[in-house]
Amino acid sequence: MKKSALFGLVVVVGFVAFGATAFKEAATPYVSFSQARTAPSAVQIKGTLDKRSIRLDSINRTLHFDLVDEGGDRMPVSYAKPEPGNFRQATEVVVVGRYDGHEMQAENVLVKCPSKYQGRGVEHPPYVKIPPHTP
Amino acid sequence: MSVPYQLICGVWMAVVIVASFLFVGPARGFREPEAARILFYHVPVAWLAVLGFLTAMVNAIHYLRTRRIEFDLRSASAAEMGFLFCLLATLTGALFAHVQWGMAWNWDPREVSILVLLLLYGAYFALRSAVEEEERRASLSAAYAILSVPPMIFLVFVLPRIVFSLHPSDTVKSGSMTPDYRVVFLASLVGFTLLYTWIYQLRVRVEVLWRTAKHV
Repeated sequence: MKKSALFGLVVVVGFVAFGATAFKEAATPYVSFSQARTAPSAVQIKGTLDKRSIRLDSINRTLHFDLVDEGGDRMPVSYAKPEPGNFRQATEVVVVGRYDGHEMQAENVLVKCPSKYQGRGVEHPPYVKIPPHTP
Repeated sequence: MSVPYQLICGVWMAVVIVASFLFVGPARGFREPEAARILFYHVPVAWLAVLGFLTAMVNAIHYLRTRRIEFDLRSASAAEMGFLFCLLATLTGALFAHVQWGMAWNWDPREVSILVLLLLYGAYFALRSAVEEEERRASLSAAYAILSVPPMIFLVFVLPRIVFSLHPSDTVKSGSMTPDYRVVFLASLVGFTLLYTWIYQLRVRVEVLWRTAKHV
C-alpha cells in the first residue's frame, strides 16, 4: 500500500509538472515585440507604460505612447479611441492591434487593475477624459 | 428558541449587498472606480468553486474508503456546486474585465485557466452520465474527482502567477484594502459560504430522495 501510494504520488506530481510546462506557453496570448512586428494579423503585446512618452494628438484625437518590455525593447503605439480613465496611473498595459511598419495601431488598450482596493478616506485624482470622437 | 442559520444567512447577505453599494466607496485607480464593487461577488464565488471541488474530493475519498453510495451523491452534489460557482466566477470575471480592462474576453491566462477548469469538471459530468451501473459510476467518478484536484489547484493558484496576467493575484492579503473594502469583503466571504452550505445540504437531500424514489 505505502509503496504503491508513493508511486501514485510520483506519477501525479510528474504529470502535473509536465502539464504545467507544456501548458504555460499555450495559456498566454501575449507575444513579444519582435513577433508583433512580423505578425500578419492582430496580436496582443504587453509592456510597461513609459509615462513620459504619452502624447495626445488633439487634431486626430489619437493617443500615442510607448511600451517597454523586460529587455528594454520599445514599441510605439497609437490608439484612436478615448483614453481609459485610469491610463495615467497604469504601469502594465496590454495592447491589442497590428503593426503597420512603424507603430502598433491599437484596437484595444487594456490596463492592468490595481491589486489594492482603496475606497473611503482615499483621495481620487481628477480624471481627464477625452470626449468620444464623432466621425 | 434557536434561529435557523438560513435566516441568518438571508439577513447577512442582504446587509452585505446593501453595504457593498452604500457603505463602500469607489476604488481608486480603476477605470470605473464605482464598478470595483464587483469584487464582493467575484472573489467569493471563485472561492466557492474551489470549496466545491475540494468537498467533492473529500467525499470521493470517503466513498472509496466506505463504499457507501451516500458519499457518491455528496461528491457529485459538491462538484455541481463547484461547477456552478466556477461558471459564475467566469461570468462575473468577464463582466469585470469588460468594465475595467475594456474587453470582456482577451484570452488572458486567468481566462484560459478558468475555461480549462470548466472543461475539466464538465468532463466529470459527462463521465457520470456515461456510466449506467451505480457502483461503477461511483468509483470512476470518485477517482476523477480526486485526480482533478491537483490540476485544479494549478489552474487556479499557480498558472496565473507564473505568467504575465492582467488579473491581480495579491488582492487577498492584509493591507491591500481600506477598512470599508476589507470589512464588506470578509462579510461577503462568510455570507457566501453560508449560502453554499445551505444549497449544498438541499442538493444532497434532493439527490438522496431521487435515488430512494428510483429504487422504490
